[in-house]
Amino acid sequence: MININDKHSQIIVDIIKEYARKQSLFILAYGTGCGSIEIPPTMTSKYDAERYGIRGAATPRQADVLLITGYLATKTLKRVIRAYEQMQSPKYVIGFGSCTINGGMYWDSYNTINVLDKYLPVDVYINGCMPRPEAVLAGFDKLKELIQAGKAEGWKHYQENLDWYRENQKKVIVNWQMPDYNW
Amino acid sequence: MDNIKLEKEQQLADILSSDFTRLDAKVIRERRVEAVLSSNDIIPSVLLFAKDKMGYVHFSHMSCVDWLEEGEFEVVYILWNPEEKINLLIKVRTERENATLPNIDYIWRQANTYEREIREMFGIEFPGLVAAKEFILEDWQDMPPMRRDFKTKEYVDDHFFHRPGREDAKDVREEIANRSGEEIPEFAKKFSRK
Repeated sequence: MININDKHSQIIVDIIKEYARKQSLFILAYGTGCGSIEIPPTMTSKYDAERYGIRGAATPRQADVLLITGYLATKTLKRVIRAYEQMQSPKYVIGFGSCTINGGMYWDSYNTINVLDKYLPVDVYINGCMPRPEAVLAGFDKLKELIQAGKAEGWKHYQENLDWYRENQKKVIVNWQMPDYNW
Repeated sequence: MDNIKLEKEQQLADILSSDFTRLDAKVIRERRVEAVLSSNDIIPSVLLFAKDKMGYVHFSHMSCVDWLEEGEFEVVYILWNPEEKINLLIKVRTERENATLPNIDYIWRQANTYEREIREMFGIEFPGLVAAKEFILEDWQDMPPMRRDFKTKEYVDDHFFHRPGREDAKDVREEIANRSGEEIPEFAKKFSRK
């Protein structure tokens, strides 16, 4: 009999688990900026992301991947944090477009944040303004690699460094009315 | 030929100028007439006159311009006459300090949205405005951000993070110019990274 709590069989279980995880990525259908316009061509027949196991999910609790598509307004950031915290772990964040990396063309705007990974743990960044569907699929490929290698652990990092993230988030969101979660 | 085309427009400008003393109307071009008001109090009466008597039933737009150097805000009302096919621009100015303009949202309900936006983005008050509360900005505590004296760069430096640039970033213009045997023009040198 196989005891799955055994150290050696645990490795095999992990490999199978991570293989299964990476083959089925449900992305939250939530577009934050102009980048969400690249999602329909990625999903529909021409690029057909579903053949790689990537498809949409209606609610945060059903989703694995949170796409931050393009610029992120401070008002939206509040909703994004709320959605991210509702998602079941393991959960992954993909920063999409140059706006999430360094602010892009909105770097000196009064209402968009510049560096996304100060507020949410980002696993993969996709460069471009906008990234084409090929680039989006390449980004998902990279995420799958990281998942298989067990390196896509932004959600653990978020739980461990919650105070640091909260401090940054509260700097932007003045009126903080959010529930506390005990993961 | 041009005079015949602008007949309708000239007629409108003449009617407006003769009916209101503190109004200066002129034809800008075909299908466009501008009316500059020298008093804020007559805005509702001019708009009501245009709507009820002249057929300017469609309220296209309302926007604000910040004339910082002159210490004034300029608000532009754009009306459209679907019968005559003429755009009427009504311009009015107000002091930047404690800026107040008459409310017009009982003339066109949709003006309410524009007025709320201008109130939030420029800080102009419209006494009697329906739902005069927070509109687009959430928990905004600074000065209205569309004012030209709002320091956007300083605000961003205070509130958001900047990602540091790459350490190996260098100016490749000279290298490219040398390689292709060209020279960087004098006027473009000030943009070179040192």
